[in-house]
Amino acid sequence: MENHPAMQSAKDTLNGTFDAGALNKPKGAGVALAFDRVGMQFPDGTNALDDITLHIAEGEFVSIVGPSGCGKSTLLKIASGLIPQTAGTVTVDRNNLGYTFQDATLLPWRKVMGNVELLMELRGYTAEERRRIAQEQIDLVGLSGFENHYPKRLSGGMRMRASLARSLALNPSVFMFDEPFGALDEITRERLNDELIALYLRNGFTGLFITHSIPEAVYMSSKVIVMSRRPGRILDIFNVPFDYPRSPELRYDADFSALCGEVSISLRNAIEK
Amino acid sequence: MSDVPITNAQVFQPVPLPKQQSALMRGIITILPPLIVAALLLLLYAWIRSNLAEHRLFLMPSAAALWDNAFSRPEVWAELGSRALVTISIALAGLAISIPLGIFFGLLMYRFFVLERGLFPNIVALQAIPMLAVIPLIQTALGFGFMPKMLIVAKMTFFAIPTTLLLGLKSVDRGAIDLFRLQNANWFVMLWKCALPSAAPSLFAGLRISASMAVVGAIVSELFFLAGKGGLGQMIINSKIDFKYEQMYAALIASTLLSVAVYLFFSWLGNRLFSEWHESGGKEG
Repeated sequence: MENHPAMQSAKDTLNGTFDAGALNKPKGAGVALAFDRVGMQFPDGTNALDDITLHIAEGEFVSIVGPSGCGKSTLLKIASGLIPQTAGTVTVDRNNLGYTFQDATLLPWRKVMGNVELLMELRGYTAEERRRIAQEQIDLVGLSGFENHYPKRLSGGMRMRASLARSLALNPSVFMFDEPFGALDEITRERLNDELIALYLRNGFTGLFITHSIPEAVYMSSKVIVMSRRPGRILDIFNVPFDYPRSPELRYDADFSALCGEVSISLRNAIEK
Repeated sequence: MSDVPITNAQVFQPVPLPKQQSALMRGIITILPPLIVAALLLLLYAWIRSNLAEHRLFLMPSAAALWDNAFSRPEVWAELGSRALVTISIALAGLAISIPLGIFFGLLMYRFFVLERGLFPNIVALQAIPMLAVIPLIQTALGFGFMPKMLIVAKMTFFAIPTTLLLGLKSVDRGAIDLFRLQNANWFVMLWKCALPSAAPSLFAGLRISASMAVVGAIVSELFFLAGKGGLGQMIINSKIDFKYEQMYAALIASTLLSVAVYLFFSWLGNRLFSEWHESGGKEG
């Protein structure tokens, strides 16, 4: 997929508003997820997405920011197959997808352990495998000791950790995040940002992350995409030059703030346009 | 920092926390009000009784008469026991029909939208048929045995089950369904691992309603089917015929207790099953 023909059309679509070379990360890395001229029209006539072409290389972590209702979530649902697009093509291996929702969507009648085991159960893992992997993931996200708690006894941050552990248990190669930390307080959110980066570096998945927070997008990602108001189009793509692992001090760095500022201006244009 | 008063400003004083109530006090506060209301109702009963004409006093027996002619007699207790057993078996047999059938129809309507469209209004219509109006027909068609009574209970307890189940199934978190869809889980897996557990508390609310209706239904059915050895409903009719109003009251009290007991059992069961995880659960989250 390295020489995917759509790489070229991506350039055309975006009309050179950014450095097209930025589409590919290190040379040789394949494309893990490709949207080619994807459009989405809902039965009620709403045009949610228009001509989205976006290629995400293996191992990239891409964030999407955009005005409310611009179709960011719709894009994830299309990528994962939850809803089919009405125009264009999506290229992705759906057998190994991770997906976290805006809320943790834990099953309230299952304890943390049972929730983390759920997807493996659906995939037919044996009981021992499930137990062993679930315990690993629970330890990894820092929920050790809470295996036998019901979700209603957990804080919002802990629920989200359990939700991450559930997806990580399948060791996904492409991981999609639909505003996972939007409902959390800022301190928890920043901590989870760091933990998620650590998991990203450890597991090496390709990330597609949707958020409302510009600092979060810049802090997490190798690339930030700004989408327009509905119908959603890609307006800008920003490369984030900072090396991983990223330290919390980065948040106070002048270059970091400058980049956030640029994204912010682009987003403001997106809303006003 | 001069103390120049701000115009229109008021000073608000702190309010100390109220003293913690002792366990005894809290117990009294929970138990006392219903007892007081019950005592008032008994007083009302006594007052109405005191205004009855002499020849109508039998309609409202006194406590002493109730004791002398009913509750002090072992044979009345024996009869109450054996008849309560008959009533409860009619009620349970009715539930044994209506619960599985109700669950089946609830699932059917959940699975196929067109069946929901077709069935739901008719289930409502079925519920709207007055039970007493159908009883003569049932008597003619099915006779006076156990089966028609069981069917009457089944009809009276059916409605709450498919409706509460369907409501519960349709309120399943969309995200949870998406979670299963992302793993290509089939409908039955989704139902078993996601929709049914999620709908269970709602279904149990329906079961509680049905269960207490079942005892009422069993007694009503017996009022119309007097052949053979019947339950508490038959005892009520027989006491009327024999002019044993104290025993009628005893049967009335017994059927009320039976109904409450069945309701409490299902409440307890529901609480046991769901309190740990469900929002309505007793434990603090």
